[in-house]
This record gives sequence, C-alpha cells and structure tokens, in this order.
Amino acid sequence: MQWQFSNDAPIYTQLIQQVKVGIVNGAFPPGERLPSVRDMATEAGVNPNTMQRALAELERDGLVYSQRTAGRFVTEDNAMINTAKRSLAERHVKTFLEAMLRLGFRKEEIVELISRELGEEESDHASA
Amino acid sequence: MLRKLLKHEFRATGRIMLPMYLILLVTALGSNLAGRGMLDGRSDVLRILGVLIVTAFGLTIFGVLLLSFVLMIQRFYKNLLQDEGYLMFTLPVSVHQHIWSKLIVSVVWFAATILAIIAASLIVAYQRGFLWEFFDVLRWFFEGLQKLKISETLNGTAYLVEFAVLMFLAMAAFALQFYAALAAGHSRANHKMVWSVAWFFGFQFALQFLGSLLFITLDRLHIPFPFHLEIQSATVAIHVGLLLAIGCVVVYGAIFYAVTTFFLKRHLNLE
Amino acid sequence: MPVLECKGLTKRFGRTTALDEVSLTIEPGRIVGLLGPNGSGKTTLIKLANGLLTPDGGYIAVCGSAPGRESHALVSYLPERTAIPTWMTARQLLDFYGDFYRDFRRDAAEEMLDHLGIQPAQAVKQMSKGTREKVQLIMVMSRAAKLYLLDEPIGGVDPATRDYILSTIIGNYNPEAAVVISTHLISDVEKVLDEVIFINQGHIMLQSTADDIREEKGMSVDALFREVFKC
Repeated sequence: MQWQFSNDAPIYTQLIQQVKVGIVNGAFPPGERLPSVRDMATEAGVNPNTMQRALAELERDGLVYSQRTAGRFVTEDNAMINTAKRSLAERHVKTFLEAMLRLGFRKEEIVELISRELGEEESDHASA
Repeated sequence: MLRKLLKHEFRATGRIMLPMYLILLVTALGSNLAGRGMLDGRSDVLRILGVLIVTAFGLTIFGVLLLSFVLMIQRFYKNLLQDEGYLMFTLPVSVHQHIWSKLIVSVVWFAATILAIIAASLIVAYQRGFLWEFFDVLRWFFEGLQKLKISETLNGTAYLVEFAVLMFLAMAAFALQFYAALAAGHSRANHKMVWSVAWFFGFQFALQFLGSLLFITLDRLHIPFPFHLEIQSATVAIHVGLLLAIGCVVVYGAIFYAVTTFFLKRHLNLE
Repeated sequence: MPVLECKGLTKRFGRTTALDEVSLTIEPGRIVGLLGPNGSGKTTLIKLANGLLTPDGGYIAVCGSAPGRESHALVSYLPERTAIPTWMTARQLLDFYGDFYRDFRRDAAEEMLDHLGIQPAQAVKQMSKGTREKVQLIMVMSRAAKLYLLDEPIGGVDPATRDYILSTIIGNYNPEAAVVISTHLISDVEKVLDEVIFINQGHIMLQSTADDIREEKGMSVDALFREVFKC
C-alpha cells in the first residue's frame, strides 16, 4: 500500500478513503485479516489513535468487521465491496466533471474527449 | 538503588584506575630489574634505560595519586553536572544516593591506590631472600607486640584505626567541599564554573575565619584544653585529640554534604 | 488523572523569562506535539517536567507528583543532546537501563539494536552521531513508561532517519501513555499527532487537536503554524 496525505482534510478521513481503495483494488482481499492497528499506523506513518478511528468508521459502514480475539477482517460481502467501489468511482467522476465544467466544456464535448482518449488507449494497446 | 549506582560507578572509574595500577605494577617490576645491575652496569644504554624506568615508576606513583584525586572531582562534575547529568538526574534515584555513590567509590579507590603503592614499593625492594627478611621483620614486630602490655597493644591498634578513619573521613570531607562548591556554582544560570571556583574559595575563607574565631574564643575563655577532663596520661591525650579531630572532620563533611544536597535538590539548573 | 499538568509555571534565566505563567494539561493516550520556534521555551518546559530545572513560580506535576524520584520511574526522557556515557558499550547501556528502570523491555531494545546492525561490544564512542541518536531513542522507547518526553527527536537528521525515528516512536510507545514530541519541524510530525500545543516566547498560543485544526480551519497544522508565527 502507498499512503499519501494532502494538507486540507483531516488525516482520519484520508485514511478511510485509502483503506477503502485498498479493499476495492484487492490490496486487502475480501475475508482477509487486516494487520494490527499499530502495524498499519506504523506503515502509514500516522498516529495509532487516528488509524483506530478510521477503522472504527469503516467498521460502522460494514466494510470491515472485528472478531473479539482474532482481530479485524475485510468483509466477504462482494456486493458491499462493489457498492464501495462504485461510490469511489462516482466521486472521482463528479470531481472530474466539476473541473471540466469550470474549464468551460459542454457535456457532449466531454463525452467526445473521453471516448477519443479511450480509443487512443485501445489502439496503443493494439499496437503494443 | 545505591548498590546499582555503585556498580556502574565502579565500572566507569575502574576502566581508568585498573590500567593505571597495571602501569604501576609494570614500572615497579622494571625498577626492580633496573636495580639489579642496570643502574651500575657498564653499558651506557642500559644505565640510561634504568634511570628512565625508575623515573617512570616515580612519576606513576605521583600520577596514580593525582588521578584518584582528580577522578573524585571529575566524576562528580562530568557525570552529574554536564551532559550525562541529563541521564543521571532522571534516574529513579535520590540525590543522597548519587552523592554517597560518588563518595564511597572515591574513598575506595583512594584506599586501593595506597595499597597499590605499598605493593609496588615492596616489588621494587624485592630481592632474593627479601620475603624471608620481610617476614622476619613482621615476626620481630609481632614478637615485640607480645612483649608489650595488653593496654599498650590495644592503644597502639586504636591509634592506627583512629588515624586511618581520620584519613578517610578527611578525604571524603575534602571531596564534599569540592562537591558543594560545584553544586552551588552550577545552580546559577550563567558562568557556572566561575561561580563554582568563587564558592570554593568562599568556603575556604569561611572555614579559616570560623576556625580562627573558634581558637581565639577558646583562648579568651581560658578553657583548659581539652575541656575539663583530667588528663591522666599522654596516651589518653592522643586519643582525645584524634577523636576530637574525627569529630571536627565529621562536622565539616556534614556541612558540605548538606550544602551539596540543598543545591542539587532545590536549585538544580542543568545547562 | 492527567500525566502532565502545569499551573502558572514560570522560569527565568537571569533577566530573560523563558516560561511565563504557563498552564496546560496533557491526558494519557495521546501523542502531543509541543511546537514552537527555537528559543520559545519547549526545552525549558520539558526540563522542568524532568526536575532538571527548578521553577521560579507556579507548579508542575507529573502523574500527580512533583518531578522527583517517583516521577522519574514513570517518565522516559529523550534529551536534546547525547546524554548516554560515550565510553559505554551497547551491552553496558542495556545493563544500565535494565538496572534502573523496571519497565525496561530489554528484548525489544536488543532486537532494535540488532536491526541497526549494532554489536553488543560496540562502544557508543565508536558510533556516528546519527547512530548515537538512534541508540538513545531506542533506549528511551524500550521503556513501558507513562509519559514520554521527547525533546527534538528529529532535529538535525536526514529524512530517512526521520522516518526511522517516527516509526520507532509509533511502533513502541505504551498506548496508555502520553507522548510529548517537541519540535519546530511540523510538517514531518503532524501526521502522528493527536494534539498540538503552540508555544512562543514562553507563552502557550494554542492547544487543540490536529483533526480539529484541519476540519475547522481547513489547513494543515504546518500551514496554521506558519500563519500564527508569521514574522
């Protein structure tokens, strides 16, 4: 996992996002046990209390669950992981659209730009 | 905790004192050899070498005495009042234990130094048959003792013990005067060493002043010395004198002990 | 019970006032940044908490008692200078800490020294300045103390060492204890802080949680520090 932090938002909200990304992209696979809070905090270079707070929040959302003695586990519920994936994606799309609209693009132009970009990527792949 | 402080204090000082004793031993052996023909031999080289070895032995005796004295003060200063003080004064240990550990270790090394010098001198003097002669002298000594009256034997032993006690107490008390001056000087925010030196001479002046004052008053009051005791003999007078001296040294040491703890406890200001 | 408490704490050096009527409370379980420019009074406050200085006014208590023999058993202190005797070997240093502190975890310290490739027979004298600082920090963090007072643990070291030091602190402190980290290098420590205290010219300027600063002011602690201490 790569941990990166920006300066404007609280650390724990950023941690929630990043652990979510880890769950969605399989860095923390479904049903797997998460490392201990202290280990995760040490790896991310953050305060263990903050990591604890972020994981508690994720637990409330249901993405992770704890077993009394064994520790914390990633949920096995794929539907829930997909929902999380979708909401992360929607957020990216939303911020992207906001930025494009601020640049003065119309919706059709945005769609056209995207499909051309995707097409180029495909031909890149084909030639490679 | 005092035991642990002593352990680490002996570790810290032993690494300096023990090699010094080893040098003393080696130069003593060398001097012994030099005495067997090197000094009055024919070869100039050997003669010069012999003189050098004997000189080295003399210097080592002086050095080891000086070192045990310097170490006594330097350990207190470096270990408690310099950077290492940050570690020492944050140990769960009382100020009293710190001072006692420094005092005890200093006095033990001082005693060890005296014994080492005696041993080294015996080594230098050793010749074939020396041991027999030495034991002869001892036998003669003890035979002489047996001829003495019991009271004389007891008195003689007591003098020795009293004198030894006085010596070590005086060493410890003198060390405490240095400790008190350093502790007082280092309680200041600035110019700590200048203040320490000033305190030391201040103490020295106060001691001499009070001492003179005491003698003058005693003289004026015409109190027969020592006090009103009927002195039966010179033997008793020596005992009284030695014990009185011990008493004075204890008071002198106690005052500086109190001054040292006062400043280290109430006015510690590490740089 | 707070692990560190001061009320009206004042300390003067000659004519300069290093701390002026400082009052603050630090609760257990927190990592607290004591942040301020050089000469703001950070070191003075930490030295007062360790009983290395005597206050001129006010009072300071560590775990309920004045700094002294009892509090020393509960506080693990990293001075801003090398205080470990340089003639000692790593093994003698472990003996020393083990003898005097009941809460010293010798096996943890040995493992960290081993990880750095330090031989037990190696003397502190033979180590580089950076290694000495790491060894001193290892000794301090190997104690299961109630309060860790770390004076400038990351000052004057390279970024890789900085990361090593911070992860050693996070990975080893007793979670029921409070950790106080004094520094002027805020961007490097702000991710590990629960709480921050800004101190300047002997006065407390602000005490707040790091999350509150980011949430309410929308800026990092570092940015807020730059704003508060703008020259």
